[in-house]
Amino acid sequence: MIEAYLEHNLVVRCHDPSMIVQRLATKDLERIQYLQIVGAGGALECLNRWERPVPVDFVVQNPEAELPLLYGYSAISAEHPVRVSVSVVPGFSKVVKLALSLDFDVKLEPSQPEPALIEELLDVADLYLHQSTVSQPVEFIHSMFLAFYHREPISLWAVQEEDPSFMRYITDQGTETISRRFAGVKLNYDLTLFIEKFMEGLFNGGSECSGCEFLESCSGYFKWPRKEYRCDGVKAVFQKLQETAEELRADFASFPSPNGAEPS
Amino acid sequence: MKGAPFSLILLPTLRCDADCDYCFEKKAEHHITLGQLSIVAQKVMDHMEYNHIESLSIYWQGGEVMTLPPEWLEEANGIIQAIADRRNRQVAHYLQSNMIAYTGKWNRVLAGMFGSSVGTSMDYPNLHRRLKGGGPKEYERLWTRNVRQARKAGIEVGVIAIPNEQTLEIGAERFYSHFVDELGIADFQINTPFPGGSENDVKMNYPLDTARLSGFLADLADIWIEQGFHKGVRVGPFNKLMDYFIHGSKDLLCIWRDNCVNDFVCIDPLGRVAQCDCWVTSYPEFHFGNVLAEGSLSDLLRNSEARRQLRARPVELIRKQGCLDCKYLTLCHGGCPIRAYTFYGDVFRRDPYCELYMRLFQHMEELAAGSLSAGLSTK
Repeated sequence: MIEAYLEHNLVVRCHDPSMIVQRLATKDLERIQYLQIVGAGGALECLNRWERPVPVDFVVQNPEAELPLLYGYSAISAEHPVRVSVSVVPGFSKVVKLALSLDFDVKLEPSQPEPALIEELLDVADLYLHQSTVSQPVEFIHSMFLAFYHREPISLWAVQEEDPSFMRYITDQGTETISRRFAGVKLNYDLTLFIEKFMEGLFNGGSECSGCEFLESCSGYFKWPRKEYRCDGVKAVFQKLQETAEELRADFASFPSPNGAEPS
Repeated sequence: MKGAPFSLILLPTLRCDADCDYCFEKKAEHHITLGQLSIVAQKVMDHMEYNHIESLSIYWQGGEVMTLPPEWLEEANGIIQAIADRRNRQVAHYLQSNMIAYTGKWNRVLAGMFGSSVGTSMDYPNLHRRLKGGGPKEYERLWTRNVRQARKAGIEVGVIAIPNEQTLEIGAERFYSHFVDELGIADFQINTPFPGGSENDVKMNYPLDTARLSGFLADLADIWIEQGFHKGVRVGPFNKLMDYFIHGSKDLLCIWRDNCVNDFVCIDPLGRVAQCDCWVTSYPEFHFGNVLAEGSLSDLLRNSEARRQLRARPVELIRKQGCLDCKYLTLCHGGCPIRAYTFYGDVFRRDPYCELYMRLFQHMEELAAGSLSAGLSTK
């Protein structure tokens, strides 16, 4: 399947990296933005034989079972920058904590978190915001925090690599869609228009989004797949990030830099 | 090609001219022949080539390396370099010596092979380092004389010190002053003792009392910040922890890496391969194999059950020893396996100095914060 997309920048998804190492020619590696490894299969050692430092994204869908695998990634991290993309399901914060301790970037894949998971999300936000030993980004928290700090909205769809204007997901069956959570969903229009059309639908349906203070950055991201999902918990997370960003702004403001520039 | 080097702790001899109470090695008269060294170097380079590793760091340790003639080291260097050149690989050498056999004859090899630098060990007061059949005073006299001579010859000397009961009695002020002011050592490191190797009365007293040792280290760190930090004096592990808390640079001691199995391997003169010099002579149950007797080093490392156990250790610690809940997990990952094994007979336990490390990390974090807020950072 890779051959059909070689003129694009690629994220190559696999369950066993040794298959990819065997099949991809060195010239093809130049097109690969990162290698995405899903689940526990295969040995990572083979990546040490790749001459190019292709970044690796380890997708964790079952935190309890897959947590121990993170240490295996530390063995390759000197040569391959590692990110851990973790589904926000019970126990995900353990994965976040261990990943950060190993200096891996983290991306949360939240879908529509229920109240118990909101507590865990708030704990992770707290860890990211306040623990002195954390130095890696935890997306989407990191970008939302910076957006609040700079008071400049971002696109959460883009941060989460789900904006079809920039990125597409090819299912195992070869169908082009938006991201893993859209696999199997039929979208009968140009995918580039998805966010616009989805928001239109939300507004027309009287969604809480129309009056939401976080709409500019969020653009209804948490309303997929169930439009009726209540965002109170998500808003509490955003609120915490916004308050902390404002505190930081106030702290910086009380220590003006000599040239008057705002710290970035 | 990869930037991170392959690190090899190489023990060319198990012969030693000292008889220190807390040595963890099983001494013997074995030393590696130049022919065997050539085979080892070839197999190490094969392993590097297979894994696209460009550079090799060799940490020469003993036994005591200086019981070999300096000419032997020069010849060994030539053999290794020739193999590396043929394979288009770089090699850097580092030396750890007790300096008891040091004479001016070593200066040429120290300059040519080791970048005019050597690591050695001494305690204050010295109770446990002694010559064979001699006492600690005589050892210290010889060591002090030789270190001074080496420094006069332009050799940079770094010192590892292990605290003992009397170190804790005399306190951090005198300890610091002895090394820095009296001996002129600007680079030393404190290590914690452990009961590795054969049993004796001294090792029965380990671990040292955590509360007292923590207090000593905190005092020493304070004195270093006050007197040495801004003058370029390096006291390990404090300097590395300050670098971490101030600049985010994570170049920590081997005991605090996320898994030392990823970072180095040790080979002794009989070709036995183990995790490090602490394991290789005294703990055959943790041998990875024998590089002189077996095929490739890569296969040996891949198939070793002992190495698999060590690799699995941090995972077991976060599952069963509560390390995942620790704020300082990123700095420690459960600490040193040889310390756990020699204290508990079980590698799947936390380092027995866990509490000491936590107090030290906390103290250094506070010192770093204080230094930053006072605008005292050196950078």
